[in-house]
Order: sequence, then C-alpha cells, then structure tokens
Amino acid sequence: MKKLLALALVAIVSLLPILAMADGELVMGSWRTDDAEQVNALLAKYEELTGTKIRFEPTTSTQYNATLRLQLDNGTGPDLFYSRSYATGDELYLNGFNVVCNDIPGVMENFTDSVRGAWTAADGSVFAVPFAAVSQVIYYNKDIFAEQGIEKLPETWEEFIALCQQLKDAGITPLANGIHDNWDILECVLLGMLPNYFTYEDRVAYESGEKKLNDETWVKVYSDFAQLIPFFPEGFESIGNNDANTYFGLGQAAMLIDGSWSCGTLMKDYDVNMGFMAFPAPAGNKAGLCLHADMGIAGNAASAHPEEVKAFLAWLASPEGAQITADYLPGGFLPIINAPITLQDETINEMAALSEGKNTDVRFIWAKMMDLYTPMVENLNAICRGEQTPQGMADAINALWEEALAK
Amino acid sequence: MTAKTNKIRAFQGGASIKPGGVYWMRYVIPALAFYVVFMAYPMIDSVRLSLYSGTAGTREFVGLANYVRLFTDEVVSKRFWNAFGNNWVFFAWHMLLQNALGILFAAILTNRTMRGRQFYQTLIFIPCTIAVLVTGYLFKLMMNPVWAGTTLKAAGLGFLVRPWLGDRSTALTCVSLVSVWQWVGIPTMMFVAAFQGIDDDLIEAASIEGATPWQQFTLIRIPLIVPVIGMVAIMTFVSNFNAFDVVFSMETLDGAPDYTTDLIGTLFYRYGIAGQHPVGIPEPGVGAAISTSIFFMLLCGVIPVLRTTQGKE
Repeated sequence: MKKLLALALVAIVSLLPILAMADGELVMGSWRTDDAEQVNALLAKYEELTGTKIRFEPTTSTQYNATLRLQLDNGTGPDLFYSRSYATGDELYLNGFNVVCNDIPGVMENFTDSVRGAWTAADGSVFAVPFAAVSQVIYYNKDIFAEQGIEKLPETWEEFIALCQQLKDAGITPLANGIHDNWDILECVLLGMLPNYFTYEDRVAYESGEKKLNDETWVKVYSDFAQLIPFFPEGFESIGNNDANTYFGLGQAAMLIDGSWSCGTLMKDYDVNMGFMAFPAPAGNKAGLCLHADMGIAGNAASAHPEEVKAFLAWLASPEGAQITADYLPGGFLPIINAPITLQDETINEMAALSEGKNTDVRFIWAKMMDLYTPMVENLNAICRGEQTPQGMADAINALWEEALAK
Repeated sequence: MTAKTNKIRAFQGGASIKPGGVYWMRYVIPALAFYVVFMAYPMIDSVRLSLYSGTAGTREFVGLANYVRLFTDEVVSKRFWNAFGNNWVFFAWHMLLQNALGILFAAILTNRTMRGRQFYQTLIFIPCTIAVLVTGYLFKLMMNPVWAGTTLKAAGLGFLVRPWLGDRSTALTCVSLVSVWQWVGIPTMMFVAAFQGIDDDLIEAASIEGATPWQQFTLIRIPLIVPVIGMVAIMTFVSNFNAFDVVFSMETLDGAPDYTTDLIGTLFYRYGIAGQHPVGIPEPGVGAAISTSIFFMLLCGVIPVLRTTQGKE
C-alpha cells in the first residue's frame, strides 16, 4: 500500500514538469523542502531581473535521489536540479543527465579547486555549479567568558586547551559535546579540526595513498582531539547533539562545537549571549577552515530550455548573482563562491568571514573516503572511552584505507 | 419443516450444513481477502524483493547475492548476529521479568481479599497507553547525568548519576527495563482474565482438601492458564523481534553505544529504509533479506511453542 502511494506520488511529481514545460516555465528540483520560502523569493527576484520564470519543486530529502533518478530516466526531469556533491551527484552525470558546466562563464574562475572538485567528475567535467556550503565552529557563551575575565579568544590550539582547563578549574563545564549520536563527534569536531593540519593538496595525496593515514600529522590530530575529552560534561557518553545544543543554550557549558547550521536555532530558541570562533590551529600550523560543499545546482542536459538553463547557471557563478543569492540563503548555509560577498544577516556574515585568509577544504572523507566514516566514528568513540590510542586509531584507519586502495 | 423455512435455510447456506460442507467459506472471505492483501502479499513480495538489488527504477535481479552478503560479508554479518543476540537479551528481559511480573500482579489483583483492584489495574495499565516515543524520551532525560545529575545528587543518590544509556554494559538492560515497565500491563490484563476464568469450585475444593495457597497457585491456577502463558510468550516473542521504537527514542538508529542496543528492527531500518548515514542510499534488497531471514527464524521459534501450549482442550 505504501509502495502504491509512493508510486502514485512519484508519478504525479514526474508529470508536473511536463505540465510546466507547456507554458515555457522552468522547473527546479530540490531536496530542501524547508527552504521553499527563501528559494521562491530568490526565484521571484531572478524573474524580475531576467524575465525567466523558474518554479521550485522540492521533494523530501530522503526521497529526492530516487525520485529525481526516475524523472530523469523518463525524460521528465526538472530543468534545473539540486545536485549532491561527490559520488551521488556524479552518478547522474555518468548517466548523461547533467549539462557540463566547464564552458559556463565564471565556473572555472570563481570557485576554488577544492570547492569545484565536489562537483567535478573523474574526466574533469564540472557537473553542477557550487551553491552553498556549511562549516563547523566553536560557539562560546560571552557571559561566561566575561565572568571569567577572558577577553582574548584563543589563537592557537594550545591556548584553547589552556582556556578549557581554566574554565574547568573554575567549576564550569568547558564543552557541551558528547558522543551519543555517533555523528557529531566526527562531522562537527574531528572533521572541523582537520584543515588546521593540512591542505587540499595533502588530502589528495592521502586519498591516492601517496601519504599514509598514520603519519605524524594524523597521530597529532588524534592526540589533539584526545585532549578535548576531559572537558566534555560528566556522562558525555550519553549526550547527543540535541542534548549538547540545549546544554549550551541553557548556559550550563561555556562552549559548544557544532555546525554552522545550528546557528539559526541557537539564536532563535535560546537566550544565550553567544559568539563563535573557528578552530584555532596548533602553534606553527597555518589556520584552515572546513567549508563543506553541500549544495550544487545542475542543469538538465535534456531540458527544453537549454539557453535559459545555462543563463541561470552562469548567473549563479557570477559574483553579482552570488551576492543576490546570498541574501536569500537559509540560515547557516554560506555562499561558496570565491568572491567577496556581503551578507545581510550580521551573524551569518561574521560566520562567513571566518574563512578569510585561510585554507579551506571540504570534509576530509567526503570526496573519496566515505567508507572510512563508520570506522572513524567507532574509533573516536573508543578514544573517548579510553580504549583506543591516537596511534592505534591512525594505524587502524590507515590499514582500512590501504585495504580499500588495494581492491 | 415447512417449505418456507427450508427456502430460508437454503438461502443462508444452511442446506449444506453437514460435515465436510463448505458453507462457511463465504464468511471467511472478508478476513481472507484482508489477510491476503495486507499480510500475505507484502510478505511474499518482500521475499521477492530480497532477490533484487538497487531501488525503484534501478532494480536488478541478483539471485541470492543479498543473502550471501548478509551472512558472509564481514561487517554486515557481524551487525546482523550482534542485533540478533541483542534481540534475544531484550526478549529474555521481557519473558523473565515482564511476564513474571504480569503473573504476580494478576495473582494479587485476582485475590479475593484484594481491595481497590480497579485502581491498581488502571495504574499498571496506564504506561501502555502512552506513546513509546514519549516514555523513551522521558527516561532518556532521567537517565542522563547532565539533566538528572543535580537533582539526584541533592537527594543523596549520587551513585545513580551514571551515563546509563551511554555505557555499553548498561545500555541494553536499561532500554529493556523501560520497555518492560511500559508494557507490563498487557500480560497483567491477560493473566487477570485467565485467572478469573478459573472455576471457583476448583479452588474451594482444593482448600477443603487442605492445599496451601502456594500449592493452589502452583498446582492448580498456573497449570490451568498454560495456554494463556503460551500465547503471551508468543506475543512477547513476536513484538520483541519487531521492536524498533524504544531503541529509536532512547538511543539512536545505530543502536548506540557501539551497537550494543542495535536490534533487528533498527538494523533493518538502517539497511532497508533509511540507508547508512551519511550517504543515505538504502538497500531495500538487503533489508528484505534481513526481514525474510528473521521471518523464518521466528517461525521456527513460534511453532514449537504453539504446539506445546495450545490446542489441548
């Protein structure tokens, strides 16, 4: 029954674009049903500027991949569609559904290699225009910092650890984070730290096996990570991401390591007087920031309106277009273009400014090493429980990757 | 018999009331149709699905590859047997504690000198009426040192401040106990009804013969409700092996910490419906292989219990 309903839904959704094509209107597919309001406003603005009407047709995130695939297979795909980064998005390009974006003005010039790489196939074709990114930050409670006489934010990892110790000595829980949810300890904490230790070029070398995942750098990464553990709350084993957000939001912990996407809810749902900072780099390392390529927009190669599709993609890839787009971006999502963008929302603007003058890269494992996701979570949990050493984790992860490369 | 009544009987199918007749067939049709459409067909279709890979649109016949993967792939088989083992522990808690408490409560509630029976009966049954997501979430907060720690310490119960749900040695037990607490009302109700069905003459005769209350309980009342005990055991078995919500609300879909609370239900959901985070591409074929395997394993467990406890009229 459920299947029937789903099929009926898919059928209806697949038919919609046909109806739309009839009146010369373009359709945009997306997995962000939550953002309809902002995107509709953005598309209205675009229509005002260019006269091209684009209709936003989002599908629930979990159904999006399958629905889109079915539509494209049947030749009823939307003219423009949100593209997942890396393998999931690439798969559609490999089936010939995407407009190749290399010739679209701005695509090759206005994005960094690592950002564009998220939507670049093995043959060098760019299959979508990068649209928005997310990052990880350390939120801090300004009131607690003021009470403790902390005026200067830590500039190095060592200062950050000293600051945590100072707070702990004063009887305050320094960090609200826990390990119960099995994702935030990796996605928010460890992957957020990494760009402080190496660059995009190093990542490529690790992916190819040229550099080993158990070299000195990685042991240092895991050792630095392990330094955080004493500063988690008592019973952090049972603290999930929501618990951590609430704990910080209620002012019971001085800091919270979380994604930029939490910024909106933290500001809206709690009275906490908060600020945020990037992960400080260890002394001697150049600071970096994880700016994760999350949303891209692709053109349908079979669209009945190829010119309009290309025009829209070129607009997205231009600094002017990106500036207007940025005004409509949903909270916590950052513009990804390599051009100065001013954001209307002061807090988000401040967040976007964190990347200035830093190496940026996407999440380390997202490009090629997704198979390491679960082993990394498991090993980080073990480190937190005192059952694994930094060296042991580095060796375990390296062994898995060598095995994967050998295949 | 007049011709008229004969006609009516024939119309009602009465003409074929004789051993071996099929007059009852028409009465079964609605239930049978319902069963076929909503139970048998999806079940058989899920067996079929387990022979395919991919999702809607990209489905491909792969024979028994999903089963081979389920039982030989290092990671998948480890998760499967882990969830299978956890499920037995989860079931053991329900069988030994929930159902034993059910019998105990029912024996107390049906005691002739018991006062306020309705009140206690309601009290025991109330948790069953609350959504699992709600009770699970409340217990999750209560068992979390961050939220309950201050209160417990103030009450001098500092030794209770532990990450119960985050510690591998206690997580599954805590989840099981919450589920036991919530559902103990169901077996209690069934046993109350069973005890009430026992003829008072038997008990009276036994007490006249000098049987102690304990002897009456173990030698008369318990043997008489064996069919109900068997039924309750089967219900517990089936519902425990289909459990999902209590783990979902108290732990995570991964069966945190470290898969110690992973049950067949959560494993099936991860593989078959949601896909592994963060890629999130489900493998309905593997999910169907999990559910099909479990279906046959359950069948092997249910049939002997049914045979030994039921049908002895």
